[in-house]
Amino acid sequence: MSLAILTERLPRRAPSVMPGFGLTLGFSMAYLGLIVLIPLAGVFIRSAGLGWSGFWELASDERTVAALKLSFGAALAGAAVNAIAGLLVAWVLVRYSFPGRRLVDAAIDLPFALPTAVSGLALAALYAPNGWIGSLLADVGIRVAFTPLGVVVACVFIGLPFVVRTLQPVLNDLEPELEEAAATLGATRFQTVLRVIFPALLPPLLTGFALAFARAVGEYGSIIFIAGNLPYKSEIAPLLIIIRLEEFNYGGATAVATVMLLLSFIVLLIVNLLQAWSRRRTGFAS
Amino acid sequence: MTTEQRDTRDDARPNQSPVRIDVEDLRKSFGSFAALNGVSLTVRPGELLALLGPSGSGKTTLLRAIAGLSSPDEGRIHFHGVDATNLSLRERRVGFVFQQYALFRHMTVFDNIAFGLRVRPRAERPREREIARRVRRLLELVQLQGLDKRFPSQLSGGQRQRVALARALAIEPTVLLLDEPFGALDAKVRKDLRRWLRQIHHETGLTTIFVTHDQEEALELADRVVIMSRGQIDQIGTPSEIYDDPATPFVCEFLGNVTRVDTVLKDGEAEVLGSVLPVPDGETYRDGPAVAYVRGHELEIVSRDQPGGAPATVRAVRPFGASVTIELDVEGRAEPIEAEVPRELFEVGEVREGRQVRVRAIAARIFKRD
Repeated sequence: MSLAILTERLPRRAPSVMPGFGLTLGFSMAYLGLIVLIPLAGVFIRSAGLGWSGFWELASDERTVAALKLSFGAALAGAAVNAIAGLLVAWVLVRYSFPGRRLVDAAIDLPFALPTAVSGLALAALYAPNGWIGSLLADVGIRVAFTPLGVVVACVFIGLPFVVRTLQPVLNDLEPELEEAAATLGATRFQTVLRVIFPALLPPLLTGFALAFARAVGEYGSIIFIAGNLPYKSEIAPLLIIIRLEEFNYGGATAVATVMLLLSFIVLLIVNLLQAWSRRRTGFAS
Repeated sequence: MTTEQRDTRDDARPNQSPVRIDVEDLRKSFGSFAALNGVSLTVRPGELLALLGPSGSGKTTLLRAIAGLSSPDEGRIHFHGVDATNLSLRERRVGFVFQQYALFRHMTVFDNIAFGLRVRPRAERPREREIARRVRRLLELVQLQGLDKRFPSQLSGGQRQRVALARALAIEPTVLLLDEPFGALDAKVRKDLRRWLRQIHHETGLTTIFVTHDQEEALELADRVVIMSRGQIDQIGTPSEIYDDPATPFVCEFLGNVTRVDTVLKDGEAEVLGSVLPVPDGETYRDGPAVAYVRGHELEIVSRDQPGGAPATVRAVRPFGASVTIELDVEGRAEPIEAEVPRELFEVGEVREGRQVRVRAIAARIFKRD
């Protein structure tokens, strides 16, 4: 991903026969600034207006901390579940052919394509104590809707396509000869999967994990219905930002936003470092 | 020879004597396509055997069946007299080298070569020190000392193929099987690796089978060559047997650089490019439509005023290498033919572009025409 590139030295541009570098670079930079950097900078500038102690007071507010913990914890848990389940789904879709495979493959994109409010309503209806799944789970004493567990379920739902879609092309390119070579060398099927296939899939798995996590942290629509939004318990950070805005408490809103932004950066940085490390281990150091 | 080199040799040589492989009436179909159509073959202990044929001839299918990578529909495979048809890959213990190397990209050269030793059941697994010693010996054998910490992506194609070979040899295989081992390499590297493979074969003494579609490679490298077409064996023989005495028209055409002449046999003799040539002794087919194959160096070019031969016009002269290639338009023949004349016998001026000459066949292989 892109953070690793920032640390590299920019090479001096070799003159090219084909014109257009200046124009396209200029456009790219202006566009990136307008669409991404200026709004993000706005968040920082706004929260800087609070002063350090003012910011800290708002950011360390008990309700804010609870909401942030839930948002990041549920997003990480959801991404972790998807990393495992998504790997299995991608494996089945790439390696086996069965009737209806294309249909299943198309269905993977549904969480991506559905309006989030629609999926949120569907999840809430299913997992509510009187819903189809919720009533079954209620019998064994598990409550999903209106608890932090509900937030995790919603995060799992929306993150799946990211893991599957990043793994599929890599799995497609994994030559069957690698497995045959391992087998001729005496490896069991389990050893082949563990020592040959899984290490090759680790980099895309990390990418898929990061994408699923990033999506889940910022998710709003599909979570708020199933979460129940009890302050201190099942209230996510994006919702808290909206609540603060509705209270005309702009300082409070930007404080939460700033902390989210920083935490997201840190998580993405860690994932990038992990990717760089795993790339180095395959000899493809950039 | 230094002590160190002798050590390498001993280490690479398997404990048991080389293995004989018997293949009996092997059949394999993919859908309606018969890839192997009843193939029987004995591979002698310790020989270097080439499976040669065009793509789709079944040579790779045969190799994979011997390796155990695919199971035949019918037929049996014996290793040293023991039925191996239903043995697992692990039990067969074949060293297999893939055309595209199939190296593990996330492992160093060292780890690639050590893989086969490290995945053994705990009781049979050598200690890590012993593994390191063996890997170093193999790196010496394939002449890649000092590259053990590299990743496959940091090696050239020829180096990768040598790592693949070292990896296959690490498990002390019973036989060594190579699927188009030099197919993905450029001409210069191919030539070096060919000589080197012969040397490795000599040092390990393993029964070795390799697949190729390059007739030059097969004839130059192998002790014996198996020529396959359409899922069957056309001929098995030493390179000189194959070259001097091809069994079928297909073998003739596949070995290349021949001129095909349609002719008619009369009492065991046929007219080929103005010469009357006999079929070999013992041939039962003596009358009827026939086809003759003449190699470039079996053609003689003489001046127009000499008797015999077929009138022809010189189309081009290509003086490269040890022989001079002369392209000729023969009267009454649509496509041109190529004659090869040793450079020292070629007189400049005598044969030139546009010259009217006569061309004569001095030998030919004649087959029944279907």
